[in-house]
Amino acid sequence: MSEEMDLLDLNMDDDFDEEALKKESEELLEMRFITKDNATFARTEGGFVSLKFGDKEYKRVGVYLTFPLTNPEEYISIREADEKAKEIGMVEDIKQLPKDQQEMLREQIRLRYFMPVIKKIMEIKEEYGYAYWHVETSFGMCRFTTHMSGDVVVSLSDARLLVKDIDGNRYEIPDFYALGVQEKKKLDLFI
Amino acid sequence: MKLLFTLTGSQLEALALSAGEKLVYCVPADLAYEMTGAAGENGTPNAKVDLAKEPTAQAADRYETDVFIAVTNRRLVVLSGDKVTYQKELKDCEKVRCEHQVGCGIITVMTLAESNENIIGEGVEECVARVSMRQIVRASYAIRGAQAIVKSLKECGDAEKAEQITSSEYETYCEKCGRALPNTSACPYCEGKMVIAKKFMNLCGGFIGKLLLISLSMLVIAAMDIARPMVQRWFIDDALSTGRGKWADLGVFVGISFALLIGAILLSVWKNLACIKLGSALSMSLREKLYVKIQILSLSFINKRKPGELMNRVSRDTGRIREFFEEVFGYMFSTLLTMIISLVVMFMISPVMTGLSLMFVIVVFVLMKIFWHHIHTIFSRQWMKSDELSNSIQDIISGMRIVKTFGTEDREAARFTEKARDYAKTQSRNETFWAVFFPILTFLLGCGTYVAVLFGGRDVLVGKMTMGQLVQFMTYSGYLFGPLGWMTHLPRMVMQMVTSLNRIYDVLDEEPRIKDRDGSKEIAIKGHFQFEKVCFGYNTYEPVLEDVSFEVQPGEMIGLVGASGTGKSTMINLIMRLYDPDQGRIVLDGVDLRDVKVESLHSQIGVVLQETFLFSGTILDNIRFAKPTATLAEVIQAAKAANAHDFICKTPDGYNTYVGEHGYNLSGGERQRVAIARAILNNPKLLILDEATSSLDTESEFLIQQALNRLIEGRTTFAIAHRLSTLREANRLIVIDKHSIAEMGSHNELLERKGIYYGLVTAQLRMAEGRPGSEEKEVATA
Repeated sequence: MSEEMDLLDLNMDDDFDEEALKKESEELLEMRFITKDNATFARTEGGFVSLKFGDKEYKRVGVYLTFPLTNPEEYISIREADEKAKEIGMVEDIKQLPKDQQEMLREQIRLRYFMPVIKKIMEIKEEYGYAYWHVETSFGMCRFTTHMSGDVVVSLSDARLLVKDIDGNRYEIPDFYALGVQEKKKLDLFI
Repeated sequence: MKLLFTLTGSQLEALALSAGEKLVYCVPADLAYEMTGAAGENGTPNAKVDLAKEPTAQAADRYETDVFIAVTNRRLVVLSGDKVTYQKELKDCEKVRCEHQVGCGIITVMTLAESNENIIGEGVEECVARVSMRQIVRASYAIRGAQAIVKSLKECGDAEKAEQITSSEYETYCEKCGRALPNTSACPYCEGKMVIAKKFMNLCGGFIGKLLLISLSMLVIAAMDIARPMVQRWFIDDALSTGRGKWADLGVFVGISFALLIGAILLSVWKNLACIKLGSALSMSLREKLYVKIQILSLSFINKRKPGELMNRVSRDTGRIREFFEEVFGYMFSTLLTMIISLVVMFMISPVMTGLSLMFVIVVFVLMKIFWHHIHTIFSRQWMKSDELSNSIQDIISGMRIVKTFGTEDREAARFTEKARDYAKTQSRNETFWAVFFPILTFLLGCGTYVAVLFGGRDVLVGKMTMGQLVQFMTYSGYLFGPLGWMTHLPRMVMQMVTSLNRIYDVLDEEPRIKDRDGSKEIAIKGHFQFEKVCFGYNTYEPVLEDVSFEVQPGEMIGLVGASGTGKSTMINLIMRLYDPDQGRIVLDGVDLRDVKVESLHSQIGVVLQETFLFSGTILDNIRFAKPTATLAEVIQAAKAANAHDFICKTPDGYNTYVGEHGYNLSGGERQRVAIARAILNNPKLLILDEATSSLDTESEFLIQQALNRLIEGRTTFAIAHRLSTLREANRLIVIDKHSIAEMGSHNELLERKGIYYGLVTAQLRMAEGRPGSEEKEVATA
């Protein structure tokens, strides 16, 4: 086709860096682990963490949990802070890092992830297709609203529940069976 | 949405606005972020943190109620109570952002720092506040406003020139009563409690005459029912028990009773028929209204809801309204009226006996009241389960191919069975409950009658009451108790109706986001397009397009290129006005797109999308979809242009071949060709091709390309393609990367620039070359 003809004239073999592309795709596949031996995390002035990894230094890195609900301290993906969020490497287990750096990462996780734990259900009131919740959470007392449909409360396991409100906040009920009889009854509508 | 909250006097004092400084945005931050030792505590802007000291700014597990992010035309300030915990001059900022995290958002401020080859990352970033999802939309708008000021300060040093950000989004909660708003600007609860009555009247709008006639007939029926025991009493007391009765009296009694009975029955039959007719007519008109409304509503409304749920609203909720009119409405007033009059007459005969009977009625009502919450809960749950069930059917049927290819039929069947069993269990439990509860109520009510007979019989024996009065009393108490069982259902039935009514009006009252403004006009499209600083995101806090500006001349063909998920299809959605931009505007032939009549715009656009959807119907119907009046010759012409004519001729029924769910199976390429024919039949002024030829083999693509090339002449065309050869004819190519335009220019210009486009082209050629003999050049761009 005509386009290919004029493209071939470009003498692309010199410019097209196939090696670089291959390297990039290999990098995508490679499991790179960040350990205490090859990297150091440090707090930044602005409340984030920076990372020295090999010969590179990142001013700010993103801390992404790969299994936030089941294994929050394992396989933590450390990514660049920009839009693309390219992976720098993974921390296999946060406990393998030095104590102070563990703490830094946990602070970042606390900043990035917001999911209050519901400790006590005071009231769930239904009105015109919405349910109004009044609960005590790990963040303090809270009132929120959910729709009245089956997918508002999702079970993660037999006893662990997630509640999603109309704004998109998620609340965790770690153990349904640990709730009081009255509280369970209030949840009846959704389970 | 409110972006400027009012601060208290002491907060304003702490803010310490300088001369000429004014508050522009002020929004709450509802999650705690502690910044001990951070800048600003001593009041000096830009105070540096003592670097020797370990910085301790971090998120805390606490909600905040009085933390505000205030943006003035000079500063960004975080206020906690009446203390300033952070502030920064906007002229010193490089970028302020509201970053979407997981379940929350953070506000970051970036200042420039000296760059260094080895250190990755721009500037110095600070986190200054944290918001939950409840406030994230508001915060994103305010911070976008702050960024506009930063930009304007940078460009011309004047904060006044910055674009004032406003939000057309609705609040999620009513400011007055704190209730959730059902996607409306006004709170239906605060509007007044008459709203439900108004909705009901609205519903009956066109049927008022019929409604009145039915009510009148109900009155007459009630009067006839009340009259019969009166006649009975007269007959017993005056004719039977005196012993002076004649044959004629008997005849008169039977005649009158019989006439009343027959009259009441005939009238009832008519009334019931009228109610059924009314119910059907009402539910039909509602169904129509709902269907039309759902079509009008913008995609954003429909995308937020599951198809199963909307389907239910159209079919089941309207059905409930019909049932209400058939089973409840027709009896409600006549029964209530009969009951009240019976009660009055009973009271006149014997207050004591009436009181005794009523005691049981009260017991029953107290029982109902106690169990009401329970009954309501178990039936709500049943509805939810049935919603879930229909959703999962939808799910499995749409994903049938995947299920089959992975061979997981058994697992899916088991999952569905479990859900179906679950529903059946809930349903049978609920019905069992009714089956037990209801007879208990009936028994209690029956007891009332026996007690009344006991006392009444005694009174007749001692002569305090006549025989006729007792019989009349008994008949009336039958009137009173008989429907009481039904009356106990009444709250449930009314509640069901109200819930359904609300669910229906939830859709009907929804204001379409995309609608014609007053004074929007029809235009004949010439095809000049101008994007002016367009920002858009399906969720406000996650922008898909940011600050996109470009101009397109009439007749130009623009190719949109970029990796998946960069916003190409979004741009096309904006051009078609399926969504409105959050900020900036799109100007078509000098008119803001929002001022163009939606229908006028859509009738002049031809679209071929990536997923080709054909409606159930014949190929002819599908091609004629946009222009039902097209002649057969025009249809064939379009099909030929789309290279579809040949394969259509080969099908047994030709253009009359039925396609769609239960019809002839077309291949992906064939469907696409029909879709192209559909798009070009209308002779559109504007052509949109979103991966229009992606499912075609190379030969067909070449042929269609030829057809399309003829077609695009003189029409403004926007085309998306991953296979770059498809865009060969484009006048200009726009490369989208990182939410905005990365490169723009002709094919050759972009190749010379050796940027992203160059990389894409060479990579594709390489891959095609790497597979000699393979004609396919379908390659996924990296």
